[in-house]
Order: sequence, then structure tokens, then C-alpha cells
Amino acid sequence: MLHWRSFLVRLGAENLRGVKNEELLVACHKSVYVVYTILGAISIYVVDKEEYDELVLSEVIYAITAIVRDVCGKPPSERLFLDKYGKICLSLDEIVSKGLLENTEKDRIKRLVRLKPPSEF
Amino acid sequence: MQIQSDTISAAKAVRANIMPQKQKRKPVSYAQLARSIHELAATSDQKNSQRQLVHHVFPKLAVYNSVDPSLAPSLLMLDQQCEDRTVLRYVYYYLARILSDSGSQGVSSGGGIPTPNWDALADIDAVGGVTRADVVPRIVDRLTSEALNEDIEFHARRLQALKALTYAPSSSPEISEKLYEIVFGILDKVADTPQKRKKGILGTKGGDKESTIRSNLQYAALSALRRLPLDPGNPAFLHRSVQGVSFADPVAVRYSLEILSDLATSDPYAVAMALGKHVQPGGALQDVLHMHDVLARVALARLCHSISRARSLDERPDIKAQFNSVLYQLLLDPSERVCFEAILCVLGKVDNAERTEERAAGWYRLTREILKLPEAPSAKDLNSESKDATPSKSSKDKSSKTRRPQPLIKLVMRRLESSFRSFSRPVLHAAARVVQEMGKSRAAAFALGLQDINEGAYVNTVPENNDSYDQDHNETSHPEGIRRVSSLSNATAAKDTIASLLASLMEVVRTTVACECVYVRAMVIKALIWMQSPHESFDELESIIASELSDPAWPAPLVNDILLTLHARFKATPDMAVTLLEIARIFATKVPGKIDADVLQLLWKTCLVGAGPDGKHTALEAVTIVLDLPPPQPGSMSGLTSVDSISASDPRSALALQRMVQAAVWFLGENANYAASEYAWESATPPGTALMMLDADKMVAAASSRNPTLSGALTRLQRCALNGSWEVRIIAAQALTTIAIRSGEPYRLQIYEFLHALAQGGVQSQFSDMHISNGEDQGASGTGLGSLISPMLKVLDEMYSAQDEIIKEMRNHDNAKKEWTDEELKKLYETHERLLDLVSLFCYVPRSKYLPLGPTSAKLIDVYRTRHNISASTGLSDPAVATGISDLMYETTNTKAAEPETIDDDLVNFWAANLGDDSLNNAPAINRVNEFLAGAGTDAPDVEENIISRPSMSYDDMWAKTLLESSEMEEDDGRSSGSSSPDSVGSVETSISSHFGGMNYPSLFSSKPSTYGPSQSKGKSGGSRYNNNSYSGSSYDGLGSPIREEPPPYSSPIRERYESFENPLAGSGSHSFGSHEEERVSSSNPQSGTALYDFTAGGDDELNLTAGEELEIEYEVDGWFYVKKKRPGRDGKMAGLVPVLYVNQS
Repeated sequence: MLHWRSFLVRLGAENLRGVKNEELLVACHKSVYVVYTILGAISIYVVDKEEYDELVLSEVIYAITAIVRDVCGKPPSERLFLDKYGKICLSLDEIVSKGLLENTEKDRIKRLVRLKPPSEF
Repeated sequence: MQIQSDTISAAKAVRANIMPQKQKRKPVSYAQLARSIHELAATSDQKNSQRQLVHHVFPKLAVYNSVDPSLAPSLLMLDQQCEDRTVLRYVYYYLARILSDSGSQGVSSGGGIPTPNWDALADIDAVGGVTRADVVPRIVDRLTSEALNEDIEFHARRLQALKALTYAPSSSPEISEKLYEIVFGILDKVADTPQKRKKGILGTKGGDKESTIRSNLQYAALSALRRLPLDPGNPAFLHRSVQGVSFADPVAVRYSLEILSDLATSDPYAVAMALGKHVQPGGALQDVLHMHDVLARVALARLCHSISRARSLDERPDIKAQFNSVLYQLLLDPSERVCFEAILCVLGKVDNAERTEERAAGWYRLTREILKLPEAPSAKDLNSESKDATPSKSSKDKSSKTRRPQPLIKLVMRRLESSFRSFSRPVLHAAARVVQEMGKSRAAAFALGLQDINEGAYVNTVPENNDSYDQDHNETSHPEGIRRVSSLSNATAAKDTIASLLASLMEVVRTTVACECVYVRAMVIKALIWMQSPHESFDELESIIASELSDPAWPAPLVNDILLTLHARFKATPDMAVTLLEIARIFATKVPGKIDADVLQLLWKTCLVGAGPDGKHTALEAVTIVLDLPPPQPGSMSGLTSVDSISASDPRSALALQRMVQAAVWFLGENANYAASEYAWESATPPGTALMMLDADKMVAAASSRNPTLSGALTRLQRCALNGSWEVRIIAAQALTTIAIRSGEPYRLQIYEFLHALAQGGVQSQFSDMHISNGEDQGASGTGLGSLISPMLKVLDEMYSAQDEIIKEMRNHDNAKKEWTDEELKKLYETHERLLDLVSLFCYVPRSKYLPLGPTSAKLIDVYRTRHNISASTGLSDPAVATGISDLMYETTNTKAAEPETIDDDLVNFWAANLGDDSLNNAPAINRVNEFLAGAGTDAPDVEENIISRPSMSYDDMWAKTLLESSEMEEDDGRSSGSSSPDSVGSVETSISSHFGGMNYPSLFSSKPSTYGPSQSKGKSGGSRYNNNSYSGSSYDGLGSPIREEPPPYSSPIRERYESFENPLAGSGSHSFGSHEEERVSSSNPQSGTALYDFTAGGDDELNLTAGEELEIEYEVDGWFYVKKKRPGRDGKMAGLVPVLYVNQS
């Protein structure tokens, strides 16, 4: 676990400097894929394997950046991100749950976070 | 497939600039948060309390990895009493986290930062005695009742309650049972109503209420079902999943397809039958083609693949064809992910345990089959569903072009080429990965010698064109010519050949090597390695790799990944042994400090064996040519990209390079006889003849004319023994001794002379005529090797004098016309055995064949053996075991206890006797290779220490403090401010020294058996367990070699344990490397077996074995069998532990 952390932090330190917001970077180790990007002051890493390959992880990271932008209103500073941390966690919970990709559509995620059904009547 | 590792780890920021002004504020402790929840829960009807919860308490609580069970009562109270939707959403979130909390570390799927110090903190803070066992049933009951609540007002909460419930550990059968009940209860009500899928239902308001509610419930139910264990035999399970394909909610459809594709891997027949008409034109599966959900289409591809390849459906070619057609249509999918999945399915890559036949068939399909789109009966549907997103639009745009039947290969090539023009790194990476898989399938096709894979053949556009097809075959006996023509006329599609299409793709692939991202480049190189044909020039690939490796940006794990790819490539195409060795050489010379030396040496070894009789010489050259290269010039950049120059820019890689050279020298000594097919025991030259050739000139001339490979190796080793570093000289002398012992004359004598001179010093004067041609400066006289060499000389001396003796004796007997008496024979035999023992101290020789007294002794030895009924194979036990070669050989001051060694028998036997019994592969390198081949491995990469200079405060603490800073909370509750904040308990960064710094050097023939638990290896030092048998070839090298003084083998016991956990995975996929591993399955019923070798018990729990004894195997533990004998052994013991490798299971 902590190895992965160090690995990711190192990846970011080496590669994320000067990268545009939401530009996707890729890495892999053995059978594990990593897609990562930066949004404002926040680095985002998505890690998985098998059918969740680099392309699916790209979709996941798009969903994440979309909701982070949405919740924060702009590419967040660290401060802003921390202020919204609770809501971001709830959104992540709708994007990935129990290790499976759940929702990727922003509107649907927003509804679910507000305790509304995915399709409203 | 259930993803084991949780997915998201978000939000890392390494900015310290917020810290200074904030540090005055006290962070909020977990205990404070917990208390606030208790208090606010009691007053949850008040707006102020709700606001506090939503804005302060819950968000901050999210930071903690574990949410302790003591919060559950308050959360449940909120769940019952609070009306606020946001509060409730948090409540479900935290209830789910309590349910899912496994107690172990791990990224929580909901975010949060797991750190051990925080977990510890949470434990400390956990308020008096509430355990998960207390609260989980209450939470489950509550959520269950909510999930069953059909009140429309409660609809949204019902969905969330069901979702939270799925977090309950699936290990509990009662909870699973309950969940199944709920899910099927919901589906009974909402799944059966026949409905037309309403496209674009998402985001559109005002669908009729009832159907929307139904759709939501369908989604929630399938989402829960997907997270439950598969229930393959259950018809209801299958039935509901099939219904799910027609549901309106796209995520529900995705889940149902995923479930179906999982089911189809075990029972494709049932799934195909259940799907029935859905696959036909206008059916639900066809609709999925145009659905917006990418993963749904991915699951569809897998489902179609499983069914269309199912043997059980051979009777129903119509069904298979329908699914196949859907699969092929997915090749046109606008999403790269879906298209690539379809390509992989066509190629026969399903999971990592695929078979060569399936892969080969995949390549055949890809290159031969044609996509014919169905007569678009769904066209009108498409129009009516105009709201559908991109897929249908783009396919309509293309329709005029794609409606024509098209060869798959062209579609795929075109698609891949366009993907390679993408700017997205993930897309480039994925595309290169697909090309790599293409290469694998292609290699499989060639390996099986599939008919009809002539790549010069034109790609047909019209399938009926079979006559001209055959013609093409005849015309294409010169594929090169065709390629040139067709690449000129690329526009005229009909002229494309597979070769030309591939060539044009590979051109694009090669340009991708310019990508900034090193991971993309690595994948491209892997793809190139796989697409490399055995018979084409690999100059381009070689120079690409050489220039890539010169880039210091390459991380070590990635370099090793490519090295492992070479292994995999070799396994697929043994013909490429020499090519691959040449490529591997680049790794040895360019990045010696980064590669896993074990894996490299294993590659040397396997490729040498795989090179076959014709390639052996070249293979040996490819490995050891590194010994001829000029040493790296400090500061010189000129040769950076040249293959034939060595790079070692820093001290660490210089050290690694030196070890590599040692390894190469060692390798040469150990394998020269194999490569040269020169064995003393097969040499017919009687020793006397050789003694005649004492003239060095004559000897050398005779030697090199008889066997250039061996004399080349000797020259190289002699040079290494004269110059080079001290360590290299030692190993060279040892290697020479090995060759001397194993070779016949005149090589033995040649080496004897050389060693003799070396021991005396002043070699250059005696041997100047021999070596002057090498242009070496041999330095001052004396090599400092005298003390090391003298025992080597002694053994040769003894052999020669014993040979003299026996010749004399034989002459005496002949002259006197006397028979040999039994007494004389006994003496002779004893000398023979004694010399064998002595020789075995230095290197492995096959005891049954080796004749230290020379070929003439064979008959007499045989007579004595027959008379006394001595089996040649058992002989006496090897004294290397008992004495420990280190004492005899080399005054070693080994600080490290010697590891138990097992011998890599593979090659030893191969050269020795072609026994071909390679069941004993235990080397960690083999494990690593097997793991790689099986596509397994999710363990974390090794991160070199001190990479990131951290701010003085650890990052996590900073994060925590910033987030947990109290704002208003502080006024509310000042009592325990900061008392237990996550202060700098310590940096969480573990420093892991690089695994690749230290080399487990003599692993080539003596590798630590990783199946032996670390606890058992302890105290067994001395290696007696493993060496008491005919595999003891490297006992000397393992224990006595000075290399043992090198840094310890890089596998720490802990890491080893990890690896042995992974190995069951790895073993299954491999056949040539560990093919016999599966024979060693542990089993509870007693099995019978026989002892293969003598084994001397090293402890009370162990059992002495005599080769040939019959045994009953009770069980296996950590590489040991607990066995019972049929009758007590000499020591009276009946049962005990013996190494698995010593027993042949019958």
C-alpha cells in the first residue's frame, strides 16, 4: 500500500510539473494501470487492473475531474478542495463503489449525491 | 470481475504553502468529531445541527480511513430521525463504510487517506467497547427494512439503502442470503413488465413516473446483484440477468451484460439459450451496440466472444455466427476501449490463461475473416432513436463506407494507425498494448505452423474470391517484392497484403517511440519485440532499444518488464533464442545497474538451451561477448547509443556491470562444455595421447581445430583470469577448473598448464606466444591467485597421477597376462570414488558416467560394480555436502550464513546427460518470469528511497491538519483540542532500498528455493539438505564462491513470502518453465512415491532417505513432504520431513 503511494507520488513529482489541467498521463506496473492528471493544485491518480485498463481509467478520471470542477466551481486550490472534501467523497462513492465503476455521468452523479434517484420523475 | 483492490485514490497535493499561516489553529481530533456526531444526532431536528453536520463534522470525518463502530448508534439515530437529504446521504455513506470496514488498511473506496498512524489513532479513540459485531446486525436490519420499503416517498432512500447494504462483507452467508432475497424480490416486481427501451431516458424529465421508478429499481437491483457472488447454476439468476439486457437504465444493462459474460465463461450454452432472440437483428443485444455506456459494450464483446468460441455450441453454428457477427461489428465502435476489446477478443486474448491454439486461431481470424454487416434491419430503429448519442451517428456517417464487406485486418490496421496518431497517452499506451497482443497471437500462429498464414497473401475484399486467393498464394513466393509494390499502391485497397499492412502499421508504431512518456515507449518496445519475426533483421529493434536504454529516465521496473518480455517471446518462439540474447546483451551493457540480474541470467540459460545444436555456439558468444567489449570510458558520451559499447555512468552501475561480467564469466565456465558438446566422459581420446602433446603449440592447434567453441571460451576465460578485477580473475580460475574437469583432452591439459603457470606467476613469459595475439597488457607477474588455484591444481594432479597409475597397472596386468583380482579392483574402485568425490567438490559431474581415471578405466570399474552389485547412479553420498566446500576451497570469511541451495538442474542435466528432467525449478527468477507470463502481479513497485524530497513535515500530517483544522467547532468544544491530533507520528514513507542494487549472484545454478518458508531455511545453513544428491553441481559455487560476500540476495524473506503467495497464479500459465510444478500439488490423501536421491536429515523432524526407497506422502508443507517409509530406515525412523524435490510422486 505504502509502496503504491510512494510510487504514485514519485510519478507525479517527476511528470506532473507543467502539465495542463486534465491532460492524462499513463503508467503501468506489472498488470496494474495508472492514469493520472492534475486539476488545479490537486493531483488525481486512478489505479486498477484487468478490464479497468488505461482507457476505462481515463473515463473514470474524466468523471472525477468533471465532478471536482463542478463541486469546486473551478480547478481547485488545495484549500478549496479541502473545503469541499466531504462532497467530493460522496461523489467518488457514486463513481466507484466496491471497486466497480458505477456512474460516469455528471448529472446522474449529482442527483445521487443529493439523495435523489438516478432518473427523476 | 470483481476488482479486489479498491480503485480510487484521489487528491494528493504536495504544496506546503498553505501551512504556515494555518498552523496556529488546532486540528480537530477524531474524538472531537465522534463526540460532535453523538451530540448533534440528538438534536438533529434543528437546522443548526444539520448545518454543523453537513459542513463541518461529516466532511472532516471523511479523512479518516476507518470509521469506528461506536459511531453507528448515532448514525442510525440520524437515519431514523433526520429528514435532511444531505445529512442522510452522508449517513448512508458512513454506514456503508462501517459495514465494509475490513479492519485492514487499504484505500477506502470513498476516498480518505489511509495511513497507519491514523488508523492507530482511530483505534485509540474508539469509544468504549462498541465493536463491529455489535453494530453490524443493527445496521443490516435497518438497511434491509429500508431496502424493502416500497413507499414512493422513500424511493431515493431505498436505492441508497440497498447500495449501502452491498458493502456488507460477502463472507457472511446470512447477509448474502438477505441481499439475494431483496434483490430478487425487487426484480420479481419490476423486471417482468415487458418494456421498450427508452433511449435517452437519462436527463429527460417527465418520463412516466411508474416506468422511471421501475427503471431506478432495476438499476439498484442489478447493481446489488453484480456485487453478489455469481450463482451459475441458478436459473433465476440467469433469467434476471438476461432480462436486464433490455432494461432502460444503461448502467443496469452494463451490469447485466457483465454478469452474463461472467456466466458465459463457465456455461456459454445456457447463456446463449437464455439470450435467445436478443442477439438477432433488432434484438436487445443489437441495441447495446448503440448504447452510450462504454463498459456495457465492452461486456458485450466479451460475452459474444465467449459464446462464439464455445465448444458446447458446436451443434449450433447459427448461434455462434450471430454472436460472432455482433463481436465483429464492435470493431467499428467509436470508442477505442470497445474497439480494442473486440480486437483482443478476435485475437483470442480472453484472460491470462489463454492457450496457444486459441491465440493462433485468433491470428487466423484476424487476417482471414471478413466483416459483413447485417442488412441493417435496425436502420429504422436507429432513426426513431435519433436521440442516441455518438455511436449511431458516427456509424451512420461511415455507413456508406463500412457497409461494404471488409477484411478484419484492414479495419483493425486502419483503426490502430489512427489511434497511434492520437495525442492521448492512455490511447497510445493501449494501442501499443493491442499491437503487442497481435504479436503474441501471430507468434502462436507461426509456432503452430498454421497453414495459410502466408503474409504475402493479398487481403481479400470479397470473400467469395477464393480462386484468385489461391492464385495470390502462388504469386507471393517473393513477399518482399510484393510488399514494395503494394506499399506504392497503398491507395488501391485490393492490392494490400497482410505483410504490407503490418509493415505500414509497424512504421507508425516505431514512430511512437518518440513519445515523451516512458511507459508508452516501453509498451511500444514490447510490441516491437512481439512483432519481430524470427527470420527478419532485428537491427532496427536493436538500435531502438539501445538508444532507449541510454535514456536515464527509464525506471528499473520498466526495464525489467522488457527483459521479462524477452522471456515470454522466447517461450513463444524458441527460434529467436539468439536474437533475444543479442537484445538482452544491450541490457547487460547499457543498464547493468537497473536490471534484475537473476532474470537476465535465466534468460541466458534458457536461450542457450533453446538455441539448439546449431545455435549453441552463437548463443554462448552472444552472452559472453560482453567480456570482449572495452570497458566504459568515463565521461565518454560518444558510444551512448551504440550496441557494442558499455555504459556505466555512475559507481552503482559500474559495480553492477562488474557483477554482470562476473556472471558472464561464471556462465561461460558453467556452460562452455554444453555449448561445445565436449564432455570428458564422451571423449574417446585416451589420456595417454594427450600427455604426448605437451608441446603447447601443438596442443592449442589441436584443441581449436577440434572444437572452436570450447577453445574460444578458453581463450576468453584465460584472458579474464589474467586481467580484470580480482573478483573476475577468481571466477575465471574457477570457471577454467570447471571446464578442465568436464572436458576431455587436450583441453584439460591445456587448462592444467595454464593454471599451473598462473599459480606460479609470470604467466606472460610462459604463455606469451599463446596470448600475445590478444594484445592484452598482462600486468606485473603474479596474479595473487596462487592460494585459490592450488586446490584446483591438486585435484587435477591427483587425477593425472591416478591415471598414470592405472595405465601402469594395466600394462603390468597385460604383460603378466594376469586377471585383476578383486582386491585390486576394489582399490581401483575406491580411487575412482575418491576422485569422483573430490571432483564433485568443484563442479557438477554426472557420477554414473564420469571417469576420473580416464576412459580406459570404464571396463574395470564396471566389472567391479557388477560383481558387487553397486548401482552406478547412487554411489557414495557427495562429500561436498558434509564438509562444505568453502572450507576446502577458499578461505572465505563469509559473514552471511549460507543459504540452502537447490540446484537448477535444468541445464546441468541437459548438458550432462540429456536427462531432460527439469522438474526442480525453484529460482526466484523463474517465479518472476512465470508471474510475468501469467500476467499476474499487482504488488507495489519498488520505489527507490530519497526520490522525493519531502518538506520537513510529512505530507499526510500537513494534509490532515489543514483539513481537520477546527473552525467553529473549536468554540463548541475546546476541552480536548488537539489532544490527539494526528501529529507527526512519523513519515509514512517507507524507505525501500532498491531491489535491483544487489545481485543474488550465483543464481544461475544455485537458486534459493522460494517455496521453502523462511523459517525453515533458517538454521539449515550449510546447505546440506539440498546438496546431498546428484544435483549438487553448484554446491561449490554457491557456498564457496566469493560472490557470497556480495550484498545479500535481494529477496528479503518478506518479499519472498509475497512471491510464494503469487506463485500459484504464475505456475498455471507456464508450461515450459515450470511444467512439472503442478505435479507437486499438495494433497491430503496419502500418495506413494519413491526417493530420488539420498537425503541426510538435518534435524529431528527430518528423515534420512536412500535413493529408490518407497514412500508414502502424507502432506506437503512449504516445499517439504511429510513422508512415511514402508519399513524403518537404518536410523530406525519411519516418518519425517523430506524436501519435495527429493521425492518422485507416482
